[in-house]
Amino acid sequence: MEEHVGQIWDKLVTRLSDKSFKDSVVTLAQVSKPLGIFFRALGGDNALRIVESTATQHFAKRNWKHRVAGTGKYIELSWQDEDTLHLPKQINVFPDTDLNKDLYYWLAAVNAHTLENPSAKARGLQGWFAYSQQITVEVLQRFPGLQSRYDRLVNAYLQLRNIDEYFNEQEQSQEDAIAQALTKPGCVDQLPTSQYAPKPVLLWPHPNPPEVIDLSSRKKQPDNDAEGESEPSKPQQNKKENKRRNAERVDMPDGKDGLILHRFESIFGFSEFLNINRSTEDDDEADQDKADKNADDMDFLSVARDNQTKGGKIKFDLDLPAESIDEVVLESDILLPEWDYKKQIMQKDFCSVINYVHNTGEVGELPENLRRTAKKLRHQLEALTTKRVWHRHQTEGSELDLDAYINYMGERFSGHKVEQPDLYQQLRSTERDLSCLLLADFSLSTDTWLSNDARIIDVIRDSLFLFSESLRNTGDQFSIYGFSSRNRGHIRFNTLKTFEEKYNGIVRSRIQAIKPGFYTRMGAAIRYAAQKLEVQDTQQKLLLILTDGKPNDLDRYEGRYGVEDTRRAIHEAKAKGLQTFCITIDDQGGEYLPHIFGTNGFTIIRKPEHLPQKLPLLYANLTTNPS
Amino acid sequence: MSTDTQTNEIPFYSPQGNEESLFEHAYGNQLPVLLKGPTGSGKTRFISHMAAKLNVPLHTVSCHDDLTASDLVGRYLIGDGQTVWNDGPLTRAVRDGGICYLDEVVEARKDTTVVIHPLTDDRRILPVDRTGETLHAPDNFMLVVSYNPGYQSMMKGLKPSTRQRFISMSFNYLKPAQEQEVVEQETGIDAHMAKKLVAMANALRQLKDHDLEEGASTRLLVYTARLIKSGFDPVEACLAGLIEPLSDEDDVVSALMEVVYASFGK
Repeated sequence: MEEHVGQIWDKLVTRLSDKSFKDSVVTLAQVSKPLGIFFRALGGDNALRIVESTATQHFAKRNWKHRVAGTGKYIELSWQDEDTLHLPKQINVFPDTDLNKDLYYWLAAVNAHTLENPSAKARGLQGWFAYSQQITVEVLQRFPGLQSRYDRLVNAYLQLRNIDEYFNEQEQSQEDAIAQALTKPGCVDQLPTSQYAPKPVLLWPHPNPPEVIDLSSRKKQPDNDAEGESEPSKPQQNKKENKRRNAERVDMPDGKDGLILHRFESIFGFSEFLNINRSTEDDDEADQDKADKNADDMDFLSVARDNQTKGGKIKFDLDLPAESIDEVVLESDILLPEWDYKKQIMQKDFCSVINYVHNTGEVGELPENLRRTAKKLRHQLEALTTKRVWHRHQTEGSELDLDAYINYMGERFSGHKVEQPDLYQQLRSTERDLSCLLLADFSLSTDTWLSNDARIIDVIRDSLFLFSESLRNTGDQFSIYGFSSRNRGHIRFNTLKTFEEKYNGIVRSRIQAIKPGFYTRMGAAIRYAAQKLEVQDTQQKLLLILTDGKPNDLDRYEGRYGVEDTRRAIHEAKAKGLQTFCITIDDQGGEYLPHIFGTNGFTIIRKPEHLPQKLPLLYANLTTNPS
Repeated sequence: MSTDTQTNEIPFYSPQGNEESLFEHAYGNQLPVLLKGPTGSGKTRFISHMAAKLNVPLHTVSCHDDLTASDLVGRYLIGDGQTVWNDGPLTRAVRDGGICYLDEVVEARKDTTVVIHPLTDDRRILPVDRTGETLHAPDNFMLVVSYNPGYQSMMKGLKPSTRQRFISMSFNYLKPAQEQEVVEQETGIDAHMAKKLVAMANALRQLKDHDLEEGASTRLLVYTARLIKSGFDPVEACLAGLIEPLSDEDDVVSALMEVVYASFGK
């Protein structure tokens, strides 16, 4: 009974204190695509991903309703860090849907703009006050068309801002200053001080955006290489929620056993980072949803890193493919550069690649279950075969096109005045002068199970089989390589078929033997593949990349760093005259792929199990001249 | 295919750098020239400007998928009881002198390179197999080809052996102030509006490779300015002249329109 009354009371006061308009809500999901284009067009960074921001605590005074209801502590504002733009998950502050949408566009415009004088971006309340006004002035100057939209937003916002609020004198003068700064940006220099911080202004950037975890801090706590801190599968695969959480990085406590809170499952009910020792061998499978919820309730997550891994992972380490005696190293210590986007420099000889071939000594056969499909595909791809055919209606040729000639003479004799048609026919072979290098991702994430009986790696294996089967008769030259990496010093490049080799049982046995490796250092792999493809003596050179996710590796090669390096590698390949195309089964790929490969440089296969059949057809589409 | 006989008026061209003097030197030394740059960046205009300035006829050939060597060189046509030889534009240019401009040369069939190559080295000859002639290019003959490096289909590219026969010049979009000047000059639109349009075009160009295949060209900007100048509503003119030509996807178009509103108000 008590609980029941409590629920009703909670509902009542929450509703009483809630000033948002439910009917006119606009969510980020609805507008994120056009908003992204708008953001980039106005000068926003191409590489930034748009994500829903988490609510952050604002420390301003709350009105009595909020205090009674215990709400209003948190607010969703906008800010950006080096690889994401954070925007509120939904906006429902205005009764009018259009105004809510306008607010999204305004926030995108504000965040897209970089100040001409960045020193104004000083910390502190006064800094924020001056900065927000200056950025408003500059945005309106650059895009005068936004003025009317801004005016409408400010009018509506000021009317709603102070409903139910009671101010003392100091607070009132503070509010007045903010109202003035909104109406006439740039005209107020100082924000009057008061006991509380002012309420955050929805039209302005975040006053104190959450700190980002500095990836470079990892360097100070290097990983123990032998214990490869790795997970058997990518946990984000089944997570649709596109939300980032506030986090801080803390030092590892000095406990004897060490404490690791680096996976969300480990955090249950405390929000303070307590220096207590917990067993790192805690291998209970915590419910992901519960952990998510707890993470949502916390202001920030504390993350620490040490060199101890959970006991459960040892098992996985034993599963790692050891370098077997069958592996023959073709080339080793191939040094390749890597692009550091932060410093904007190419780091020379930064990565080291080993090129090996896995000779099982067997002669492989095409798996039984693929034979039918292979036959069908071969038939479909026959059009690619270079055959000599009669081309009719030619302006010149070895023989007269009798049909055309008879028509022409007939029309002339009947008195029609006709232009001379093309009267010849010629025996020609359809020109195809193409080599293709297929580069497949053998990273650990391919070990994930797709269904009860197939892992991603199995789908990739089938794809490689069908790709080769389909191409063997077309006359196009092709080669197949796979890659995986573990840190920059150990990038394994698995040769399955070179351009010179024929597709035969030995190649089949190599494809049969592929195994998931470690990580995805894509930039280096692309650079090395480009070197191989570049020397081919054909007019068209196509580099096909088959992957299942973002570039990532153990060190800082993840997030934007990895994306930028891969993008750089693709640009280098294009400069060498190679065509590049990426086929991915990562349905989150829409966010970063256009940045790496360009608008038309990739395709996402939503159903991975269709990849084997689709790959050869995709290849045919890509390489067929539409004319 | 067209041959322009020069008029007295020299078409307006605002130079990006030293391309005019480079072109004059190339012409003086009988060197072939390759122009590269995105569409609508002024390649064709530059050629007609230079042809008029140098006072030579300009033979323009827009290359397409089916353009063969004999389209360039010429062919026999069947007449009444006889065959008549008909010169192609390239042969005509070599006979009469002048600039032969092959626009979007990568589009043409591969066999065209056979006739282009001997014209681009020091022999400067055009062998016409069909008539058994070998034409020597006169001093005032110049071969110019253009292509758009960003706009190639998967199957097309310029062979290195062809690329390395030309003096190459790169064209790009103009700097904002200069582009504004060009728009004003071409259309007579007022400076304020021209500035707005240029700012917007530059915003749209930021989307190249990520959201759009190509940025808005100067040519599109000039068209839009003409619509506005003749009294059409600016926002509608931008939709028709700048936005619709760039994308066919509805949501992209509506997002781009937000950029237009950011400049013109809503």
